[in-house]
Amino acid sequence: MKKLSFPAFLFTFLLLLLFWMLLTGQIADIFRGGFSWQILAAGILVCGAAALFCGRFFAHEELRLLLQPKRLGALLVYCLAVFPWELIRFNVDMAVRAFSPGLPKKSGIVKIPTALTSEYALSMLANSITLTPGTLTVDIVTEDGKNYFYIHWIDVASDDPEEAAQAIKGRLEKWIGRIWS
Amino acid sequence: MSDIFLFAAICFIVMALALLFRLIKGPTAADRAVAADSIEILADLALILFALYSGRSIYLDIALVTALLGFVGSVIIGRYLEGKL
Amino acid sequence: MNIAVSIFLAAGLVFALAGTVGLLRMPDVFCRLQSSTNLATLGVLGVIVAAVIYTAFGLRDWAMTVKLIVLGLFYLITNPIASHALAKGAYARGARPFTGIDHLQDDLISEEPSENEEESHAG
Repeated sequence: MKKLSFPAFLFTFLLLLLFWMLLTGQIADIFRGGFSWQILAAGILVCGAAALFCGRFFAHEELRLLLQPKRLGALLVYCLAVFPWELIRFNVDMAVRAFSPGLPKKSGIVKIPTALTSEYALSMLANSITLTPGTLTVDIVTEDGKNYFYIHWIDVASDDPEEAAQAIKGRLEKWIGRIWS
Repeated sequence: MSDIFLFAAICFIVMALALLFRLIKGPTAADRAVAADSIEILADLALILFALYSGRSIYLDIALVTALLGFVGSVIIGRYLEGKL
Repeated sequence: MNIAVSIFLAAGLVFALAGTVGLLRMPDVFCRLQSSTNLATLGVLGVIVAAVIYTAFGLRDWAMTVKLIVLGLFYLITNPIASHALAKGAYARGARPFTGIDHLQDDLISEEPSENEEESHAG
């Protein structure tokens, strides 16, 4: 089992504490004057225990890359502009498909290669692909140091792996590579 | 304004009732799990809209807990079907 | 404000209806999972955005706004994980795309024939 480093513990603890404060409504209470030290103490206790157990799985060394402003900017652009656009585009496509008569004739599982290697980048791309309707990650395999996705595609436009990869990943992989490369 | 929220909540509940058909008929266990997950999401949306209608935030807490339980349930059913539980 | 809330609520209703109809009509497990993604992304987001606008500018209840934002983020983060787990479970249980386009199955046959025999016995 991996050893728990102190920065990983601190990062997980602060993130959990932020969510604790948000969910108990304490942030708003600071300004209104109903702040309670007891709730904060309970939060520190619970978040400390939780971070002690799952900090080692949650935060890796690669997370330090986000401290560089260029990568952080790329992450913001990805989350606020690139991904929502793709999400809306594929959602409209899928909604039209659901309402139109006739069933999808060419759905199937295709295998596409990816150039990404880091763990965060792979899981981010897989989750983005699953979150856009019409494509769904079934499995990830590593063959000869290269990573491949098995993706269920509602409309298999081409059997060629490269063309399929271009159609499915589109701009997503380029931006994720810019964040984590 | 509040009437719109009540109307939308009723629409979501009707959709959830329609999904009961898939929950009962679904040929495999995975179909039923997908239908149950979707019903949970629709019930959650109805809860959010009811919180807006009544103006009480306690329903949002219930929605949050329901979402958490639905997610954990789906993942556990998936792992069980995979045979790794 | 009322107009914006109505528009986002209507968008959420439309996408939720699309997800429901797709879930009832689609022919196999994977296509149904795709439709349920439709419901869980823009269906949820439409309602959440409408609710955020209403609580922030109509009710002026910031605690509710923050809870709604957390709920929306929670859905966006957890839904792909649940979908992936269910798809992998269904595939391991013997569900296949109904059209027969299936590269994963092809690779399983070419690499490990023994495992495939076991699967066919189990299925």
